[in-house]
Parts: sequence; structure tokens; C-alpha cells
Amino acid sequence: MLISEVHSPQSLPELLELMRRLPAAALYSGGTELLREQAGKYIFLPPETISIGALPELRQVSLTERYLEIGAAVTLAEILELKESALPELLAGALRGVATPALRNLATLGGNLATRSRFMDLWAPLACLDALAELKDAAGSRWINVNRLADDEGRPAFPPGALLSRIRVPLERWDAVALRKVGLRDYPAPETAVFALAARAEKGILSDFRLAFAGETALRLREVEGRILGRRLPLGAKERASFAAEYREAAAGLPSGLRQQFGTLVDGALDLISR
Amino acid sequence: MTVSFILNGEDVAVKARSADRLVDLLRERFGVAGVLPDCRRGVCGKCLVLLDGRLAPSCLLPAFKARGREVVTIEGFAQTDEYGDIKGGFADAGLETCGFCDSGKILAAAALLERNSRPSREEILAEMSAVPCRCTDPEALVKGVQAAADRRARRLYRRADQ
Amino acid sequence: MTCLSDLAPEGMVHVLTIRSPSARGRIVAVEPPHLPKGYRLAVAADIPGENRLRSLGVEVPILASGRVAYEGEPLALLAGPDPMVLAELAAQVRVEIEEEEPLLSWETFSSDQVVAKRVAVVGDPELAFSIADKVLEDAYVSGPLEHWYSEPQGALASFDYDKIAVRCATQWPYHVRDSVALALGSRPEEVVVRPTRLGAHLDGKLWYPSLLACHAALAAFLLKRPARLLLTREEDFRFSPKRASSSVAVRAGLDPTGRLSALDLRIAVNVGAHAPLAEEILSQACLAASGAYACPNIRVEGYAVATDSPPMGAFAGLGAAPSFFALETTAARLAEAAGQDPVEWKARNILRKGSALITGEPLKEEPPYDEIAERLAKASDFRRKWACYELVRKRRTDRGDGPLRGIGFAFAYQGAGSSLSGETPGAYAVEAVLDKELRLLIKTSAAVSGGSAIDIWRNSAAELLGIPLESVAVAPPDTDSAPDSGPVSLSRGIAVVNKLVERSCLAIQKRRFRDPLPISARSVYRFPKPLRWAEGRVEGSPFETAAWGGAVVEVELDAWSLEPRPLGVWLCVDGGRIVSPGRARSALRACAAGALGSCLRESLGCDEGRVAPSAYYRYGLLPLSELPPIEVDFVGAERRSAAKGVGELPFDTVPAAFLAAVSLAAGARLDTLPVGPEILASTEGA
Repeated sequence: MLISEVHSPQSLPELLELMRRLPAAALYSGGTELLREQAGKYIFLPPETISIGALPELRQVSLTERYLEIGAAVTLAEILELKESALPELLAGALRGVATPALRNLATLGGNLATRSRFMDLWAPLACLDALAELKDAAGSRWINVNRLADDEGRPAFPPGALLSRIRVPLERWDAVALRKVGLRDYPAPETAVFALAARAEKGILSDFRLAFAGETALRLREVEGRILGRRLPLGAKERASFAAEYREAAAGLPSGLRQQFGTLVDGALDLISR
Repeated sequence: MTVSFILNGEDVAVKARSADRLVDLLRERFGVAGVLPDCRRGVCGKCLVLLDGRLAPSCLLPAFKARGREVVTIEGFAQTDEYGDIKGGFADAGLETCGFCDSGKILAAAALLERNSRPSREEILAEMSAVPCRCTDPEALVKGVQAAADRRARRLYRRADQ
Repeated sequence: MTCLSDLAPEGMVHVLTIRSPSARGRIVAVEPPHLPKGYRLAVAADIPGENRLRSLGVEVPILASGRVAYEGEPLALLAGPDPMVLAELAAQVRVEIEEEEPLLSWETFSSDQVVAKRVAVVGDPELAFSIADKVLEDAYVSGPLEHWYSEPQGALASFDYDKIAVRCATQWPYHVRDSVALALGSRPEEVVVRPTRLGAHLDGKLWYPSLLACHAALAAFLLKRPARLLLTREEDFRFSPKRASSSVAVRAGLDPTGRLSALDLRIAVNVGAHAPLAEEILSQACLAASGAYACPNIRVEGYAVATDSPPMGAFAGLGAAPSFFALETTAARLAEAAGQDPVEWKARNILRKGSALITGEPLKEEPPYDEIAERLAKASDFRRKWACYELVRKRRTDRGDGPLRGIGFAFAYQGAGSSLSGETPGAYAVEAVLDKELRLLIKTSAAVSGGSAIDIWRNSAAELLGIPLESVAVAPPDTDSAPDSGPVSLSRGIAVVNKLVERSCLAIQKRRFRDPLPISARSVYRFPKPLRWAEGRVEGSPFETAAWGGAVVEVELDAWSLEPRPLGVWLCVDGGRIVSPGRARSALRACAAGALGSCLRESLGCDEGRVAPSAYYRYGLLPLSELPPIEVDFVGAERRSAAKGVGELPFDTVPAAFLAAVSLAAGARLDTLPVGPEILASTEGA
């Protein structure tokens, strides 16, 4: 289909109404996802396309002492330009690893987070930070934890018919953070995934520990995190081995290369917090 | 659909289809030679333009995305002092290019120096990753951008003096 | 010089290629939909001349006829004025192929797949193995590599009064001319080729542009309009020739002192279908099989295997790089087995002046190994790091000890001046004319090389004739202005053409003060005697001269993900006389960056010999931000020997040095590139 009808709503209510009326329409934000697997002379878009990248309501950024809010149509480059104190390092690290500087000027937050076939680079750090995502549809709006964008099996679970309008990232002090991207960096291949860790200790006791890993599927084990919390640091070798084993077991469904890498990353994480 | 935008400082309008990429429109309708359609994935940097002042691959812009925005190609940028800084800097460093990636490299350097007037080696390599090419000697490229930064600083200093 | 994609003459039609969806089978039908006026489908039967490209002794069909030989093979061309209409029409062309099971396997193959075989034996390898102190066996596979040249391939053809004018980027303008003439049934003089800007090519535009030129010319002929065919990058990636994959099985024997006493190599090269350069690639692969080492007992057996995949070919040289990779990687293990550090082991085994080459001839020059090795060792601090990293790896208990590091060293040579099989001796020339104003014009089709080669020739000429550099010009490489100087490849532009320029200038200089101006001179390239492979031996000179080079690569494994990160690359090269060191250094660094890319990132997904469709989206050059500092040093410049081509050396040396470094860091025996997550499997146990 070489010809697509392109709608350019001028306001959020107009957009939501269009989405309700045209449930099969593609939302065009930065376009990097829609255009990803096409390299012919012409661009193939679905019969109906809704261009949302310029809507002012989706491009707001606001900062308080406790939160950073970013609109879904803010580009990744724009997010990276926020001042250092406003942008959590975990998020900044993930953003820097996405594509090239020129592509980051087009790619948007929404395009990266509101995906249905797999997880892109920002899910893991945002899940780790327990960020919230605001979803809107014609019926209203609601906030959900980014972790709920993955279902119990770790598959993407972005609600159909919903628009991601903004995210809210808590700004907290962390003692240890780590971010690693494995696999093919510039293309979301099956072996591409992002690993994120955030941890805090108070008076030698681990007060917060969060670990997220996402590629085609997502992994976050709150139950295990809950048991690691409250432990005295440094963790003993036996404790580390036992938690590492739990994580490895949970990762059994991953392809072998990725599973091995995840195992090593978990070891690294447990090692890091012990210092 | 008709798409109106500003091209190299001029108001223009063009009839386009949803399937048209901006890079092809620029070349075929406006005779702009400074963008080259190549990878059509936004990774090779040969189609780079400045979109509202920011570096963007025009192959990943369907016509409608240009609506109401300011597009600057190397032809437009070549009228600026910054262009002279960069061409001069590249020449100072003896940077040789294959001829196909030049425009992309110049615009990428321009975008970088606009944000960061004294970029480090790492910052240069990170930004110039937008234009990977077989012809590129990374050391000469770093030197070239640093020399461009020097020229730019001297020019602005002279201007400030006046 | 103009870029092909900038050329769009008035009235031009665009040309799209209709390709075979199957890798093997009989063509039943290629049916267009109803075509509006001005649009035309061209098939093999429409070719007025011959439906074949005669390329270096092998015939390649211009359009498939009867049977298809690989997936993506051009079956027909669709041409017309509006590209969008053309795209829609192309999608409606009905292609029916009676499919057959494709032959894609090449590491094991049947005898009918063999298009060339080479066997050479020196000494008595079997005896030597039987008494060897240590024997090592390894097998390596080098996958296909993408050139990612500066511009995707294509051609523009138009009628220029009574001639057919062809414009395309090509390493060999006269091959384009002769191919188009053959296809159109014209005389060569009726075709003129005006090459467009070539840019970086990595030997990917030796013969394929001629095929596309025939396509464009056919469309122009049928529609009586200028016709332009431009492959999209994706099409080019999937269907134009890639580096031929090769497998090298090495068996190496050491004597009690650790010297190389026996080598047995088995090589298979996947040359795809039609395979124009099969003989050459196999020859080079076999000649390079023993690397830069002196070994008294060698057996090489090589096969060029045809498969139902796109024709594979040259990439930064013609087949030597995978052999150097295999042997240098084995050399690292041999050094270990002998209990010596790599630099020392190589010093004891490297070819020396007078060493017998695989052809039995003694090496005429002394490879500057000692000087190169010393310089590299000093610049990279190789010996200390190697010993240190080895020790650290052995003693390491957990990741807290810091990241794992490794360092590797490889040495190779790049032969120059050999002939490509199928070339006619005496066919290549360079002309020069000195006019009354003492201005010199150099005429050579090799001027397609561009900037630095042209500067070298101009410098040579200016020096020899004692005239200012500004007085020396180079004519455009058009076939009606310049003589055929043969294909320009990474080794030829400098070595061969420069010599011919010099000879022409010397001839002019001799006559200059006797004869009236203008004076012109023509120098003809005298091919060295071609190699003769027969009865299990190879005779002749593998090369006229060789450029020698070494590379050291240092890597670090990320403490968490264990992915290798290059920390530094050092190259030291003897390229003879370097006219412009700054430029040469730049060119080598660019090449080294490409070679590093092939180790880390550039992967085509070797899907049984085909380039997988999704591979295009996965593919990318190594980002600049991941490149370490690359240092380039030259030796031998003071020896005033002739300039030699060195562009292949980074690809001959960097991969093996890289793999040795990663192997050292990981404590693993690795044998393929790029290095994937399986590296972890080997370190888990470490």
C-alpha cells in the first residue's frame, strides 16, 4: 500500500477521538519503529496514519524535586540534553546507547516504550526506577507502573488502543547503578537486550535492590529482590551464589547466548553491591 | 497532499505522497544535490539535513514530517561562516573524504560545534558516528573537527573584539 | 568528479531489476502486467548481442535464460519514466520458477560443484608429520563480508550521436566498454565509458558494474531513451558480490626446537554461481596458505566450490586474507605450544631472503620482519603486556581483579603485480604527452582511483621530468581519452600504474632534448609469467614484489558482559617508497577501522551461503565511538624501492591479531569472527 491517509490532529482530544475512530491506524511519532524494516525507495505505511510527533501536550517536560516528567513525543536527544541533576544516570546511559546522534533526534520516548513486539532500550532502566506511564484513551487516563507493560510471562503487554502520553520518573539517590546493553547495538535483534541495576544501602544494610533485563522478553524478579533486601553487606559468597542461581533459573527460557550473558551480568551486579 | 516548509531559508511547497521520503523530494523536486539517498535506514549519514536546527536523516522523514519545519541542507549551510570554519578545519587536518559523505560530515560537525564549542575526542567520535564511511580516517576526522572548533573560536573572538 | 546518482538527463527512464525468487530451477514464466505506454519489460531474448558478460575467463549471463542459478539473479528489467509507477508494476510482475533443491552447501561438497582445484606439495609433509614433536589441528571459517562502498552500484546509458555513452563507477572502465559492446552487438569503439566518482570500493566494483551497465544499455537500446539503473543499498547488499566465504583446515607440525616443520592445508572457497574470479581467489588463497612462514614441507589442497548463491568475489584483495587469518591464528597457538612468545616464534619461522616459497622459488627480498616486529613491540609494549595478561588470566580468581585483557600480533604480506587469470598479456598501457609548454598529460583508465593515486603519479612525473607539479595533469579515465590500464585494485593502482607512468616519463625524458615537442610515450604492462598449477606443484612467481606488514591489537573484555572492546591497534608496514606519508597513514587507518569492524560488528549471517534478507537491517559499520586509537608506522621508505600497494594488509593482519588478543583474554580457543556470546561459554569454566 503506497498511499496512506495521514491525519495531523492539532490537539490531544482530537488525537484520542481519531484513535477511537481508527483503531487500526499507526501512530507516527518519530517514525523510527514504523520505518525500521523498510529500505526501499518508498515508505509503506498502513492505510491510516496519525502524526503525533508535534502535539504540544505530548512534548512537555517538567521537573520537581522528586520527579521528572517527560512527554511521549519528546525525542531521545532532547531528553539527553536535560541537565545532569535532572536525568537519572540509568536512563541517560540507556539513551546514549540508542542508535546514532542523528537518529536520536527523531526517535521519541513513546516510540521506544510503547512497543508491542519486544522491549526496546528504555524499558529496563525505567522499570528499574519504577517509573510510571500515563496512558490515555477516549475513556480517560490512568497511570500504571512501567513494570506492568510486561505481562507475567515477560512479554510486552502494552494495552491496545491506548496512547502513552508521558512518563514520570522518580528522582532518587542511588548508591550503585549499572546499565549494560548486550548483543547487536544498533538493531533490535533477538540477542539484543538491556540490563539495568539500581541499589541503595543504609548503614551497611541493603535497603533497595532492583534488577531488570529486557530484550524480546522482560525479566524482573521482585520476589527475589524482596529477599535480597535487608541483607547485611557485603553479601557472603553463599548468598550471592544462591541468588545468582535463582536468577539463572528464571532466565532458563532465554536463548542460550543471552542466558549466559544474563548470568554473568547478575554475577557482576551482586559483586558490585558487595563493595 | 501539499507539504509546505522552509528550505534553506525559502518558503516552499510541494505536492507529495505519504510514501515519499524527504531525501527523494529534496533531490527530485528541488534539485538539492547535497543529500544522497543511500541506506534508507538512517544510519549512513549521507542524507543528513538540519531539521529545525537538529541533525536528522532525511531518508527517515516522510514528506508530511517536514510540514511547517525548517530544513537546511549543505547548500543552505554553505552560506554560513560556520561552514567556512569546518571546511577550513578539515583542510587544516588533511582530512580526505570519498566525496559522498562530505555533506553529512560537515553538517554533523556543525551540529556538534553548535552545542559544544570545544568537544573532546570522545565527543567528536560519538557525534560523527552519524556518518560512518569506509573512507574515514578517525584520527584525521577528530583533528579536523578540533581544527574547525579552533577556527570558529578565533572567528568569534575576532568578532567580539570588533 | 560527478556521482552517478546525480546524473538524471532529460527524458531518462528508470530501470528496476526483476529477480529470481528461487535459488535453482527452470524459468517457466516472467509475465508483466499490462504495461502503459513508455514502459517496457526486457528479458534475455531482447538482448541484441550476446547474453553474456565475459569476465576474466568466465561467462556470466546478463539476464537469466532457461534456468536460474541463484536467488536474486536478474531475470528481467522493467524500465519506464515514473519510479513510483515502475515500483507498482514491478510488484505485479508474475515470476514462475519450477523450483529445485538448491545446492548451498560448500564446506562439504560434491565433485560437480568444483569449478577449480589447486594442489601443491613441497617436500614430504606426511613424513614430517610422522616425526613431528607436536601436531596441531584447527579449522577456521571466514564468512562473507560486505564492501559497503561509498555508493551503491548502478549505471546510466544513453545514446550520444552514434555512440552509446555509459556512466558508472567502476574499477575497470574498459571491461564495462567491452561488455556493453558484446551485449549490444556493437564494436567496442561504438561504446564510450565515462566513469563517475568511485570513492572507497574495497574491490567490490571490479566486474559487477559491467553487468549493470549492460542492463542500463539494454534498456536504453530498447526504449531509445537514456536509462539509469541504481541499486538501492539493500539490493546491493543482498545481491552484488560479497567476499567469498572460505574454510581453512590447518594441520601444523613443530619440530623439537619449536620450528614449523610441516603444514597441511585444506581450503574450500564458496564462489557462488558463475563465479568470475574463482580461479584467482583460489590461487591467492592457496599461495597465502602458508602465511609469511618458511616451512620445508607443505601440502595445500584448495577447491573453489560453486553454490546456488550470488557470485562471490574480491574484497580488499583476492582471497589471501582468510588464509592469513587461519594461519596467523594457528601461529599464535603454535607459539604457545612451543613455549615461546609470538614475536620470538615468528622471528624463528618467518620467511627470509632465499627461503623457498611454495612455488619452489627463493624469495628475492628480505622481509623486514625484525624491524617491523621491533617497532610494533616497542610502540604497543607488546612483550610486557602479553606476559602480564597471560599471567593475570591464569591467576585470576574473580571479576574483582579487574577486566580481562589480551594482546595479539599478526604478520603478513601483500603481493603485487600478479596477473588475473584470463587477462591478455600486453593489453594494458599508460600514455603520457609532454606538450610545447612543458605541461605533461598522463592518460590512464586507472585514473578512476581518485585522489591519492593520482597525486603519486603526478609526483613521480614531476620529479622525473623536472617540471613543476602544477604542470602535470591527469586526463579523465574515459575510454575515449585514456588507454586501458587494466583493473584498478588495491594493489595495482600504485604498484603497476606508477611504474608505467615512470617508464613513460623516462622515455619522454630521453627524447626530450632531441625531438620536437609535443612528445608522447606509451608504456605497456609486461605481465609476469602466470603461475602454472599442475601435477601437484605450482611454478612461477607468486608476486613481483611484496609489501610486508604487521598488526598488534589489544582488547579488553567488558567486566560484566564479557564483550570484547578494542583498546588499541598498531600497524607497521613496509610499503616501499611512500610519496605522501600523511595520506598513506590516513588510508591505512581507514582500512584498519574496516578490518576491526569485520571482527566485531560486520556480520552477514552466513545462512548456508546466502545473505539472509534480514541481514541488511542487522548490518552496520563499527561506530567511530567504538574505535580505539590506531597508530600507523612505516619502515623501509629510505630503501627507495618502488611504491607498493598496502591497502590489503590491515585485512590480512588485524583479524588474526584481534582474535589472538581475545583468545588470550578469555583463555579460550576461538576460531571465528565476529566473536559472539559463545565467548562466555569458554570463560565460564575459566
